[in-house]
Amino acid sequence: MNAGASTGGAGVRIEIDDIQSGALHPRPAPYVGRFIFLRVADRHAGRSLLRRLLPAIEGGLPSVDPSQDAWVAVAFTYQGLRAMGVPQESLDSFPRAFRQGMAARADLIGDLGESAPAHWEPPFGTGDVHIALSALSPDAARLDKALERARIAYQDTPGVQVIWQQEVHQLPTGRTTFGFRDGISHPNIEGLGLPGSNPQETPIKAGEFILGYPDETGNLPPMPSPDVLGRNGTYVAVRKIHTKVAAWRQYLRANTASAQEEALLAAKMVGRWPSGAPLTLTPDHDDAALGADPHRNNDFMYRANDDRGFRCPAGAHIRRTNPRDATIIGDARMHRLIRRGTSYGPPLPEGVLEDDGADRGLVGVFIGANLERQFEFIKAEWVNDGNFIGFPGEKDPVAGHHGGTGSATIPEKPIRRRLQNLPSFVVTRGGEYCFLPGLRALRWLAELED
Amino acid sequence: MTPTPDATPSAQPERPGMRDGVCSEFTVFTKIKPGHADALREDLATLAGGSSDTDARAALRQIGTLHDARHVIFDNDTRHMFASVFDGSWDTYIDDFGKTAIGGRFDKVFSHAEGFPGITDPKIKDWFLAQQAPAGVFVSSYPDLTVQQIWKDQRVNEAFQAVLDTPEFRAALDNPANAELLATPAFQKLMEEAAG
Repeated sequence: MNAGASTGGAGVRIEIDDIQSGALHPRPAPYVGRFIFLRVADRHAGRSLLRRLLPAIEGGLPSVDPSQDAWVAVAFTYQGLRAMGVPQESLDSFPRAFRQGMAARADLIGDLGESAPAHWEPPFGTGDVHIALSALSPDAARLDKALERARIAYQDTPGVQVIWQQEVHQLPTGRTTFGFRDGISHPNIEGLGLPGSNPQETPIKAGEFILGYPDETGNLPPMPSPDVLGRNGTYVAVRKIHTKVAAWRQYLRANTASAQEEALLAAKMVGRWPSGAPLTLTPDHDDAALGADPHRNNDFMYRANDDRGFRCPAGAHIRRTNPRDATIIGDARMHRLIRRGTSYGPPLPEGVLEDDGADRGLVGVFIGANLERQFEFIKAEWVNDGNFIGFPGEKDPVAGHHGGTGSATIPEKPIRRRLQNLPSFVVTRGGEYCFLPGLRALRWLAELED
Repeated sequence: MTPTPDATPSAQPERPGMRDGVCSEFTVFTKIKPGHADALREDLATLAGGSSDTDARAALRQIGTLHDARHVIFDNDTRHMFASVFDGSWDTYIDDFGKTAIGGRFDKVFSHAEGFPGITDPKIKDWFLAQQAPAGVFVSSYPDLTVQQIWKDQRVNEAFQAVLDTPEFRAALDNPANAELLATPAFQKLMEEAAG
């Protein structure tokens, strides 16, 4: 455990030890993890569970070396806070997106067609998910150790039911199911004492990620009441995303004439090469050493050398979801997120183009203090539309739901390339909005009376 | 109009304006603070034209989603109407604008309105919503086009017309080497537009 508090810019003291480790911590690599959804029969069961769970939940940043750490985090849906018996006045003080839940926001964030809540995997979107436990660790032994106390808590508390579990793990390739290194980018948060992954990023105000501190607007983020419940908490959007890896490979094969072209087209859609090397730094070929170097693989901006996107297209996945200083409508710093992607299911063996029927994909965790301005804005404006970069109607080629009619522009001289009739490469299996309280707030929840 | 009491302070407003295609209308009616009409009129004049016309254009460039907007002072200098058309929704980028010169422009105009909390106030969306009166009818002649698309279309057309003005292009059309290109339906469509 490091120092109890650090001082942010403008003298803002951040109570790091009151913030759950699971909020701010970058994902280890390699990693194994588990997501566990619980339903509680009533407020007494919920509070009893939480009292037993508390010793398993750590605050702070246990180490600067993420490969040393394992942690368990506990978060609540709106239904979960209701089930815990949080007073109505307090429930009403939460922002609307959180109160409604992700399923109710499906139109807004583009979960339509095969990704619509009607097709979600239960218990996503049913209102039954009350508590979301998540644990991440560099290896299975430390994961089991970290989860042991939590497991005893939820197994031994009457009225607590495990309704869903998902194992996640780094694939043997060290890459996502699509074949790309991930877990590279982490925002530079002011006053945290945890370096961001891009040395060129001006620190983002802590209030963009943690309630109770000034945010980029200069105000305190809207915080639920009472103060003890909101302070040092944050919001988490959890999503299970199925990846259509065979469809991805088939699309690349069908639209290119050589293995080299195939690799380049994939990189143009993602914004990085498989090694993680960014196109903006190495536009013509992969660079394994660059991709593997955490000091260099995210050390870039767009405006000075790549504003038009001839290296990394403005529509590429990593540039849409983090436009840095690129010319866009609005201010990218108002829409930052902590992203933690974790893979599930077996990899599709290399070279296989036919779907093997296996379920694979990722569980994505998106953390920020303002669901609407961050997660939902990014989905609606940046992933599911392209007006902000001057390509109205175009979606993220990788993460968008295209339904066979998508298009994507790849700037090129003399003439841009335009991908047409794009299929979808991802399907939303489900998602929940959760509130991840600080440690004092957890005790407040556990000690509620009536 | 009186601001509606809001039981849930952190709730984001619904979006009551009417939509046609990619854009939507946003009209607010405010009460001008007593004695502020002339100051408002002056601010509007300063912001909209004269020496700061370049600034006004630059501001529109920066917003990038505003089709048009008008400010009207009426009811014997007691009320002010702001009527506008935005791509998407008026509030999509309101937090972003708060940080820029655009926010300053909004602040200046609406500081003459009763109850205006300031553009960077967390309650700003609620305040605008309380002043908003949705249209009964809203139609656009180009419902598929965002401002970004219109600008792009304009740039492309100007470039296209400039190409048509070059004798080299005229000569290229007569060059048999280009016959194959000229015969494609896509190019024929372009030549339809080139004919006048």
